[in-house]
Amino acid sequence: MNSTNIAARAESASKIYGSGENEVRALDNVSVSFERGKFSAIMGPSGSGKSTLMHCVAGLDALTSGKVFIGETDLSELSDKEITKLRREKVGFVFQSFNLIPTLNAYENITLPLSLGKKLGDEAWIKQVIDTISLNDRLNHRPSELSGGQQQRVAVARALATQPEIIFADEPTGNLDSKSGSDILKFMRRAVTDLKQTIVMVTHDAVSASYADHIVFLADGKIAGEMTQPTPDKVLDYLKHLGE
Amino acid sequence: MFRLSLKMTLARKGRLLLTSLAIILGTSFLAGTSIFSATINSTFDRLFTDIFRDVDAYVRSTNSVDTGFGEVRAPSPVSALEIILKVDGVSAAVGDMQSYARVIGKDGKPLGEDQGPPTFGGIASSSAAGLWIVESGRLPMGAKEMMLDRKTAEAGKFVIGDSVRVNALSGTREFSLVGIANYGDVSSPGGATFALFDQPTASEFLLKPGFVDAFLVQGDGTLSDEELAKAINSALLPSDKLETLTGAEITEETTSQIKKVLGFLTTFLTAFSFIALGIGCFVIYNVFSITAAQRQRESALLRAIGASRRQVTNSLIVEAVVVGLLGSILGFVVGIGLSQALSALLNAIGLEIPTSGLTINMSAIVSTVLIGTIITTLSAILPALRSGRVPPLAAMRETALDVVTRLTRRVIIGLIFLILGVIALVASVNGADVKILGVGVLAVFAGVLVLGPAISRPVAMLLGKPVSKIRGVTGTMSQQNAARNPKRTARTAAPVLIGVALVTSFTALAASIKGEIRESIGSSFRGDYALSVNSRGFGGIPISVTDKIDQLPEVATATGVGFIPAKVGDESPFVLVFNPKTAEGLYDLEMIDGRQSDLGKDEILLEQDKAIEKNLPIGSTVQVTLVDGRTLQLKVAGTYKDAYGNYAVSRELFEGTATPLFDSFIYISTVADVSDKNARKAISAISADLGVGTLESRDEYIDSQAAQVNQFLALIYGLLFLSVVIAIVGIIITLLLSVFERKHEIGLLRAVGMTRSQVRTMVRWESVITSLFGAVTGVVLGIVTGVVIVISLNESGISGFTLPITSTIFILIGSFIIGVLAAVFPAWRATRTNIISSIASN
Ligand SMILES: Nc1ncnc2c1ncn2[C@@H]1O[C@H](COP(=O)(O)OP(=O)(O)O)[C@@H](O)[C@H]1O
Ligand SMILES: [Mg+2]
Repeated sequence: MNSTNIAARAESASKIYGSGENEVRALDNVSVSFERGKFSAIMGPSGSGKSTLMHCVAGLDALTSGKVFIGETDLSELSDKEITKLRREKVGFVFQSFNLIPTLNAYENITLPLSLGKKLGDEAWIKQVIDTISLNDRLNHRPSELSGGQQQRVAVARALATQPEIIFADEPTGNLDSKSGSDILKFMRRAVTDLKQTIVMVTHDAVSASYADHIVFLADGKIAGEMTQPTPDKVLDYLKHLGE
Repeated sequence: MFRLSLKMTLARKGRLLLTSLAIILGTSFLAGTSIFSATINSTFDRLFTDIFRDVDAYVRSTNSVDTGFGEVRAPSPVSALEIILKVDGVSAAVGDMQSYARVIGKDGKPLGEDQGPPTFGGIASSSAAGLWIVESGRLPMGAKEMMLDRKTAEAGKFVIGDSVRVNALSGTREFSLVGIANYGDVSSPGGATFALFDQPTASEFLLKPGFVDAFLVQGDGTLSDEELAKAINSALLPSDKLETLTGAEITEETTSQIKKVLGFLTTFLTAFSFIALGIGCFVIYNVFSITAAQRQRESALLRAIGASRRQVTNSLIVEAVVVGLLGSILGFVVGIGLSQALSALLNAIGLEIPTSGLTINMSAIVSTVLIGTIITTLSAILPALRSGRVPPLAAMRETALDVVTRLTRRVIIGLIFLILGVIALVASVNGADVKILGVGVLAVFAGVLVLGPAISRPVAMLLGKPVSKIRGVTGTMSQQNAARNPKRTARTAAPVLIGVALVTSFTALAASIKGEIRESIGSSFRGDYALSVNSRGFGGIPISVTDKIDQLPEVATATGVGFIPAKVGDESPFVLVFNPKTAEGLYDLEMIDGRQSDLGKDEILLEQDKAIEKNLPIGSTVQVTLVDGRTLQLKVAGTYKDAYGNYAVSRELFEGTATPLFDSFIYISTVADVSDKNARKAISAISADLGVGTLESRDEYIDSQAAQVNQFLALIYGLLFLSVVIAIVGIIITLLLSVFERKHEIGLLRAVGMTRSQVRTMVRWESVITSLFGAVTGVVLGIVTGVVIVISLNESGISGFTLPITSTIFILIGSFIIGVLAAVFPAWRATRTNIISSIASN
């Protein structure tokens, strides 16, 4: 793997919560890379450290030891302000819930990271993104006037708006019904295939994971394995395997 | 359930603290005022009990005039002392005198301040009935000797043997200091200064030969005080018009008189402490409303698992009672400190009031805690009822916090208040009673407060527009945040609104009064210089000085104006006393009918409106009773537009009477070719010799007279300061609760790239918009109130409304700064929002 092809990576990343008796090793010497232009998934049982890994790689949280890179940038060398700027310009986020600012309408939410950096953004690109999520007639609506699925679509569009190096999505379909969920997954798939974006998604659901090009399995804060070109069956099979 | 509620209350320390803070501030002023009042009252109680400790009976004249600011009594003839001393049961008796006398310091400047405690002259006596205890030296004897109280001697660095100059009614004289004395146990009562002489000197120098103010009598122990008083009374000559009081009676009377005067002050202070409490109420109500909304899910969960509405409501009320108790107890403690601050404030603006120690009544504690707790509980009732009404279902679903409530009913109620208020105001502008004015102002305030939530959204959006322009999306979010919860914004802005409205209307009123003073002095005073003292009705410039200045070669004319208490018809006003012979062209009463220079000895001039009110046309007679008991029938000789008093008489009226005459100010016109320097030099030579008075040119004088209103304004500002503090704390609390409530949002904003400084900007501008919302509505309300008050009080002498433009701009800038300051801590707190934990699903 050529390093210029890597959108983000972790090197011997460890994250320890608490100390002494209460010490929790959420990440234990994890090294992992996420390839540019690919849809990656992080899978594992609840409490395995998926979210922690994502937060640390995305610059939302600091590691206890080890290093993370977004592109060629070592996050540990950046100040809070620089990391904020990097998140704004190079990283997109989709969370499970509370993704939108209730006082801003859909369009303002989508362009929020750009506005925060006082940038106009690539209008053609934003139009293309909005077309893809097919919410053209809802752009003036506030989040409270949108359904859960629509809200998540706006969130994904927001993540895409800055054409970031990488998008992190933590269980983006966790709160949705299966129809809305699969819409979001298909949409993310299209963003990678058609719009050449890079997405890393955290999930504990095999079907969701099977939309990805590449899966990293986590267990007890350690890498338990990887898989390319997954299908739901292959994933379930693997998980069963892992359980033994 | 009660114990559970208690536990839940105590578990939320942050909320407990914030709510208590509002209550502490609200109640502390109330506590401070009552502690302050109790302290001054007990100070005076102790003082007069001390002073009259050895006095068994007190003999004084029966003639007096009560002006409402204390009693002025006629002097008593010294000849009565012989009679008193012969009464069986009397062991000692002595003349007492408390007249105007001012000690001039070694630097030529008078001791004590123009606005400070009084400066007295009195009798030093060796009699056991006397109040003075000689500390060093001896009692003064003869026309050349005097004694000082210890504090004044210390202040002036006088030692026995020094020669001391004293200014009194009959001019300034030099005495040799032979003794230093204490007054009872204190060196000087209430910070007053005392110059003491033997009785004949005191009478001649301070009052009138052969007269004293009163007599202090000590019994020999054979009679009770009541029997003694009776015995003296029956011995006194009816022609002397004297009466005898027991020691207890005079102590009681003096104390209650002082307390009556101080009563005005404490009522005034109490009014402001209730304003502070009312503003505190808004903050308390707001905090409860917000926290009740925030724990909607908790309440719903309680309901879902089987708690009744009542129980949910009660749990919030329990919280209110606990917080109310806690807060008002702490408020009382803070009030102790505030009572000292009040003393300092009054001192700073020149209203020095002696306080010694600290008097804390049980009743003050009880009433503070009771009022605080009741008010807190009342403020919590509505939010608590709302909590109880939360459907259990709300626990299961995401409840939107931004509920858009129906505003129609609110608008209707608000408008009703507003319209009723406006009707009352219009009525009062057209001459209705002052009470109607008060009701109108209250109704308008109530209407605006009720309408607040209906107008806060559009106004906040409007005020936020420039912010959103300048600050981009961060500003837009500030604007939206300020507008998203109209009720909360309105409630947060309400204290600012009330505070700003009060500040604005008082400022406008003061500006109008100043304008009026300038105008009326400008039109009545035609001379070149004014020599004035601010002696607040006690002493002044002896009229002999006026005449001396009039005789100066540099001076064309000098005319003096003074005031004297008298009974006129059914009133006891201060009557203006002037000299018709010299006033012409120098002090112009702006006569409507008659000529002021023609005013004779048995005539009186009336202010036009007074003449109409009392139905006293020209030529009618009015009965005037002077302090010395003289009753005169004066003929109304003319009416004038307005002046410092409603009645004016000639100083001739007092020639040859015992009534001491002082001028409060002297207006001077100089001869044509004299230079400013020479004129001042010549006049100062006389006034400096006296050590009294301020010499100013016409312009300077007008400026300084108008500036006297500033003292009053400073007091008002000082008293409103706490209300402003409460308003700021209210904003801080609301912002903190909002930041806490929006932590998901702030976490998300941080995640998608909002910098800490942008978060701060967002919170800061929300605060500024909220504060400006309150300020803008407050300014509008304040100006309207000011205009209405000025117009309604037109009759009492204010003729035009002056809009204080600079002050209004300062008030708005001040509110801007308040917004910025209030946001500091909440904004900092917002930047500390933990991104990870706030975006976690739960
Ligand atoms: N702030 C925290 N403090 C202490 N322990 C934490 C914290 N966040 C996560 N953990 C622990 O770290 C481990 C990994 O958590 P997480 O990354 O959220 O797992 P996942 O997303 O795979 O369910 C868990 O054992 C969790 O309890
Ligand atoms: Mg997780």
